[in-house]
Amino acid sequence: MATVHNWQLGRKMDYPYLDSRPKKQFTAVFNTNRCIACQTCTMADKSTWTYSRGQEYMWWNNVETKPYGGYPQFWDQKILQILSDEGNNPMEWFTSSEDKDDKKAPYGYYGGDTIFELAKTKDLNQVAVGYIPEDKEWRFPNIYEDTAVSKKTNIETEPVKEYSQLPAHDRWFFYLQRICNHCTYPACVAACPRRAIYKRKEDGIVLIDQKRCRGYRKCVEQCPYKKPMYRGETRISEKCIACYPRVEGKDPVTKGRRMEARCMSACVGKIRLNGMLKGDPDNPDPKNPMDFLIRIQKVALPLYPQFGTEPNIYYIPPRWVPRAYLRQMFGPGVDEAIEKYSAPSREMLAVFQLFRTTQTMISRFEIEYGKKVYETRTNGKKFEVFDDTVIGYAEDDTELVRIKVEEPTWESSDKRMITY
Amino acid sequence: MLKKVLWKSVVLVSVVVAILFYFNNRTLSQGSEEPVSKEENIPTKELLTVKYLPLETKYVDKAFEQVDPLNIILQKQDKAIPHGGGSIKEIEIRGFHNGETIFFRLAWDDATNDERAIKPQQYRDAVAMMFPLDIVTISPETPFSPRMGDRAKPVNLWHWKADWEKEMHLAGGYEHIEDEYLNMFDDFASNPHPVKGHSDLYASASLVSGGRASGTLLAKPDRGRSVEDLNAIGFGTLTSQVHQDVKGKGDWADEKWSVVIYRPLITPDKNDVQFVPGMGTFFNVAVWNGAQGDINGQKSISIRWRPLKIERVKYQE
Repeated sequence: MATVHNWQLGRKMDYPYLDSRPKKQFTAVFNTNRCIACQTCTMADKSTWTYSRGQEYMWWNNVETKPYGGYPQFWDQKILQILSDEGNNPMEWFTSSEDKDDKKAPYGYYGGDTIFELAKTKDLNQVAVGYIPEDKEWRFPNIYEDTAVSKKTNIETEPVKEYSQLPAHDRWFFYLQRICNHCTYPACVAACPRRAIYKRKEDGIVLIDQKRCRGYRKCVEQCPYKKPMYRGETRISEKCIACYPRVEGKDPVTKGRRMEARCMSACVGKIRLNGMLKGDPDNPDPKNPMDFLIRIQKVALPLYPQFGTEPNIYYIPPRWVPRAYLRQMFGPGVDEAIEKYSAPSREMLAVFQLFRTTQTMISRFEIEYGKKVYETRTNGKKFEVFDDTVIGYAEDDTELVRIKVEEPTWESSDKRMITY
Repeated sequence: MLKKVLWKSVVLVSVVVAILFYFNNRTLSQGSEEPVSKEENIPTKELLTVKYLPLETKYVDKAFEQVDPLNIILQKQDKAIPHGGGSIKEIEIRGFHNGETIFFRLAWDDATNDERAIKPQQYRDAVAMMFPLDIVTISPETPFSPRMGDRAKPVNLWHWKADWEKEMHLAGGYEHIEDEYLNMFDDFASNPHPVKGHSDLYASASLVSGGRASGTLLAKPDRGRSVEDLNAIGFGTLTSQVHQDVKGKGDWADEKWSVVIYRPLITPDKNDVQFVPGMGTFFNVAVWNGAQGDINGQKSISIRWRPLKIERVKYQE
């Protein structure tokens, strides 16, 4: 075992391989607040990569209703249960100012065991703790769709509450969009006894070599996000490939420039922004929209950072969900992220406009400042909106998109109101 | 000036050597394998004699009755993660050759016949023989890892698979996903859109269909064989050969597998072990019990090398 630094946990941890960060990292920001679970992403992925025999149950992209839903069923509860029941240390975060470090530990310090550490200290027969889901757990990609949690009310003694209020709703659910996290320390890579899985140095995409794979299913067992899947038809395993030909710029539409993955560019709700994180996490680029949202503003958070794989798909947490649940799912950065998202800074509001404006990856943004158009109070503080213009550039500095914060409107003349 | 350069290079070289020494087997490898005990590297005294029987191939079954078996006690694989196996306690092995082809018969008790690996939690029965690739001497002074060989000591493996055996005798030579999930396309017999309607889509999909497109033997229909010919140079390095030379036939009856594996004594493939009558080599066996979830390193193994003696060809007057 080697020792590597996991910035999401704010500490060093055990991993079977040496630290070797990619030059750039495939990443995305998913704004859970905006998702309507239309499953267009799911179908875009399905119709591109997993429409063949033996892939019927494979949903490399899926959207599930939390807290009850999950694909495979209860995947996250099961891993959390293992970590909680078997772990040597409580799954605790330390978030005082001493435990935080803007570069090395932006969310604080995690004291619990990661999936790798637990397997090692318990001397288990695995590199990372995990399990292989049974057939029945793969049966319903969207089980418990739209099923909400509700607070129990004794109707005899207290009135039934009809309405919920922020900061946390009494009745709640939200949609969680899931693809392979293309982790910095992938459990599938660690688990594979024959190194058939690799993480690409150029873009951090994690792939299963279909020539090397022999269908041992250790990746299926040990990936905590359950994204490698065994394909019975070919007797070997497959996983999300981050649409790597598009990311490489092989699609002629973007003229050789990096293109967003299918699930990202198909997003109807404009919740997804796909791009490349700077390889060096300690020196984020303030002009790269991904670095800006994830590392500088910390408004987008990793999914279950406590697993220890340093996942690279980041989520803007849903505002209405009880914080304890969100902290378990996205770590201790939740409160800061929701506060920032609820009243975004001038720059952040501009960057939010870039979501789904182009399918070419935006690697840099510039803001041209405009006049103030709106003022209100939110969370007891003054909040101003400015009609700034945000410009997105490709890696080769071509201007891709130019969009204003205020949506341009046009009023038709009164005469148009005359109906016949 | 020269002295300075010399001094610098001495320091540099010693730093590099120190780093290499420190990291050797420490962090550059997965490091989960435990060291092998010295005893393991020494072959056993009991040996398998591969008798010369001048017979035609069709009399194979009778021939095995004329040779003495070697019974090998198997044990759990517990050195490289994932550990496992141990459910198969013993295997009986016999061998003979007819001057052209070498035959082995491996027989072991297994209450279940697991000849499919389609469901995510379904594993096949299998058996493998392993030989040092080159002509070697194995002794306490010249050890040879009995666990998949190592970088300087490649091994040749013959891996028989129960699902390949079954597929070999099927029309089309392959079991498809719908053979396991019978009603996956049709909930009712009256389905007006049977799967046949999608056959064009299926046929066109082969190029983007992962394993099929990569050409791996595991995903190939009509392989025409049930034994895979492989090489390895240590844990995790198992690689299928370009030239497949080994064949076999397995039967499961009375809760017992009986698998015959055969190959020409000499092949033109440099990655194959060669059997020269009158000389000897060594071998090891491993058995996978699919019902127990055996796969990969989860297997029952013989551990120590067994000497293999190949009888001379006797010419008849």
